[in-house]
Amino acid sequence: MTQLLSLDFWSLVGVVAGIYAIFSLGLQLQFGYSGLLNFGHVASMAVGAYVMAILVVKASFPLWAASLAAIGAGLLFGAALSLPTLRLRADYFAIVTIAISEIVRFFALNEQSLTGGPLGTSNLEGPTQVTEYNRSWVAFQSTVQGWLHGLIGSHASSDFTMLVIVWVVVLGCLLLLTPITRSPWGRVLRGIREDEDAVAALGKPVARYKLQSLALGAGLGAVAGLLYAFQFQFFSPDDFDPLITFYAWLIVLVAGAGRMWAVPIGALIFALIFSGTRFFNFKPFTYLDAAQLAYLRYMVIGAILIALMAWRPQGLFGKREELVLE
Amino acid sequence: MTALLEVRDVVKHYGGIAAVNGATLDVEQGSITGLIGPNGGGKTTLFNVVSGFHHAEEGTVTFAGARIERHSPDRVARLGLVRTFQQTKALTRMTVLDNMALAAPRQPGESLVRLATGPRRARAHERAVEERARELLELVHLGRHADDYAGTLSGGQRKLLEFARALMLEPQMVMLDEPMAGVNPTLGHQLLDHVESLRSSSGTTFLLIEHDLEVVMSVSDFVHVMSAGAVIASGPPREVRSNEDVIDAYLGKHGTRE
Amino acid sequence: MTELLQLIVNGLVTGSIYALGAASISLVYGALRIVNFAQGDYVTFGAYAALLVNLHWRGGMVSATLFAVAATAALAVALEFVLWRPMRRRGAKTMGLFITSIGLAFIMRASILFIGGNGERSFRVDVFQSYAVGGIRVSEPQLIAICVSLAAILAVALVLSKTSFGRAVRAISDSPDLASVAGVDVDRTVVAVWILAGMLAGLCGVLAGLVQSSFDPNLGFTLLLPLFAAVVVGGVGSPYGALIGGLSLGIVQEVCTWSGFFGGVNPVWKPAIAFSVLIAVLLVRPQGLLGRARTL
Repeated sequence: MTQLLSLDFWSLVGVVAGIYAIFSLGLQLQFGYSGLLNFGHVASMAVGAYVMAILVVKASFPLWAASLAAIGAGLLFGAALSLPTLRLRADYFAIVTIAISEIVRFFALNEQSLTGGPLGTSNLEGPTQVTEYNRSWVAFQSTVQGWLHGLIGSHASSDFTMLVIVWVVVLGCLLLLTPITRSPWGRVLRGIREDEDAVAALGKPVARYKLQSLALGAGLGAVAGLLYAFQFQFFSPDDFDPLITFYAWLIVLVAGAGRMWAVPIGALIFALIFSGTRFFNFKPFTYLDAAQLAYLRYMVIGAILIALMAWRPQGLFGKREELVLE
Repeated sequence: MTALLEVRDVVKHYGGIAAVNGATLDVEQGSITGLIGPNGGGKTTLFNVVSGFHHAEEGTVTFAGARIERHSPDRVARLGLVRTFQQTKALTRMTVLDNMALAAPRQPGESLVRLATGPRRARAHERAVEERARELLELVHLGRHADDYAGTLSGGQRKLLEFARALMLEPQMVMLDEPMAGVNPTLGHQLLDHVESLRSSSGTTFLLIEHDLEVVMSVSDFVHVMSAGAVIASGPPREVRSNEDVIDAYLGKHGTRE
Repeated sequence: MTELLQLIVNGLVTGSIYALGAASISLVYGALRIVNFAQGDYVTFGAYAALLVNLHWRGGMVSATLFAVAATAALAVALEFVLWRPMRRRGAKTMGLFITSIGLAFIMRASILFIGGNGERSFRVDVFQSYAVGGIRVSEPQLIAICVSLAAILAVALVLSKTSFGRAVRAISDSPDLASVAGVDVDRTVVAVWILAGMLAGLCGVLAGLVQSSFDPNLGFTLLLPLFAAVVVGGVGSPYGALIGGLSLGIVQEVCTWSGFFGGVNPVWKPAIAFSVLIAVLLVRPQGLLGRARTL
């Protein structure tokens, strides 16, 4: 029961929620605003994390430069993703995005010399070396922790510090995304979401907007990947399973397609479900072991998805009139 | 004098059939030209080819002196040739005003770069766009629906919206695909009045596909008749009306595809 | 040369299984316009149903297969009544149904994991014979897989083209409204489509489990993406398309590792080959090999 009240535990939950919030904001831009069925979004997270780690460990980049390069790589990846979308119908595009994200994961898994293979970043410098890309970040985090300590005293643990950093980034993303999605640029995206032929007939170069939307969304995915890498200090291809993309879809659908600020709320709800079920140590849940509890969680997620589609397809905060789930 | 729009020997197959089979026609600048003919004659497919949604296998399309048969739809629209659709493409999940504002050309707010470097200019332009949009909406009596979702409009109102939206692009020529279909006669006649007044005031050229022959004959200066993928007759309405081939086509003797 | 032929034979085996699963997905999508993300789990269900008979009730593979096919068909019908039909009545369209299928996939896989655990399982089969023809080895399960798949798909193709049921299915794929006006009992035809698709999926699961030395609850999901690839490559809605798509994907996947092909692709990349083929085909022909071009 003490764990229920532990600030560190909830800080961790909050960090994961924040990372997922940024990740899902990217998907919200691509799907919620532009109607693009990107089911391979996790690949942008992988690109961000791996590019940063490889540049730091193998090319001795300073962390800040590697991170910027990682975000750039994410932007490029998203732009490349737009090439298939130009000619494919929506459902084929969805399948192609999954295929691409799996190819990325395969690449990470098999190109051992570049990516460390199945053992992930611990293996980046070869099996005998323990690698660390995190040193500068840890230093940065300590500095921030020092400031917080000055503000709120001893509650400022490193987990809490990370929480603050991540959510400052979330806020930053929202401050960037909200005005641009409310702008004429965002309006073109919303038009494309409903009927791209109509928008083309009005003289807008549809392909260009799709490219920008996919690129920005992937850039956000890369940012999430970076924060993930910093938080857990180690990652492997298994961390970028297609399941992660589906979590983002769940969050976007729960929030309501097309509502930026609702995404962090959806991410928090999602994180709460995931970690809250950990506290189900009362009957009948005590009859289940940890693995079975995990499977139960997946059933709950599946049931929520179906219930959403049945009773509230516009999500918690979406508007029924703007529903484009055709 | 060369016509504003010149279509020469266009061929387009669709699902194995030649939907357009050697179509040739001209649309003169400042005219209201009708395109009529039995169902399945290829009129909408021809519209699709001219507006860039389909690419012709053979033939050429020239607009204002430029060859456009290989252009994408957005490029055709930016050249000043705008079309509407048989099944209205009003964006129902957006408000009427958004539909109109979307159509405005060359908006700085639509470019991420210009948004970032000149937000105030973008906002000023947006205000001007909104003003123009409301003007046009008043013209088609949709002013009071500006903030409603386009999905709440009736079929006829959506056609008017699509028409007004096309005008936001300040086009040289507008191609209307069955503007009267499914619209109550009053609204329909309003639309035709706008067509005529626009032609008089701004010299906008119109090409309309229409099944209501009375309407077409009364409003058009010139008429082309399409049947089985080809233009079988062209001329002023009176001439075409009494043309034997045309009568045959409508009565089915020309062997149209259904 | 023998190496190449062996790879082609292996490819035929994998490809036949792909073809079965692809035919199941294609049938559902072609007739019902549902992209069923849970179809992979229908396949897994078939494998585990056969496992139940084979391991727990001590039945032979034949009875296990028959049971699996029937059980998966029953499951498919049950889901139609409990899930798909109510969702369609609520107005859910393609995207809504797709997301529903993702939720269903989560629930199904978690259920199988919950009940059966995540361990590897194998069918209790005697060490089967294998046949060798001029240096090429093929085991009995592999041979069975090829023959049974081909037979099943041909049977389905015949049913769809020659029977009145098949005509009804084609009618509802074009337009359910027009079909019902023309006198087709749409609801009953839909149920029959699910029965057929369920049978194919169950069969696919059993054969997949047979051909692999062991399998776990991720069997169907691991197959799902290559199955989608096969459907897309071969063209939606046609069992022949599924056959062509599945076989070609299987063969390409195996042949890529041939040493005569620039030293051969590293076998670990094999699953990625299916995806690469999918992307390559779609880049050249966005409607798939046998599909129809985009309409306005």
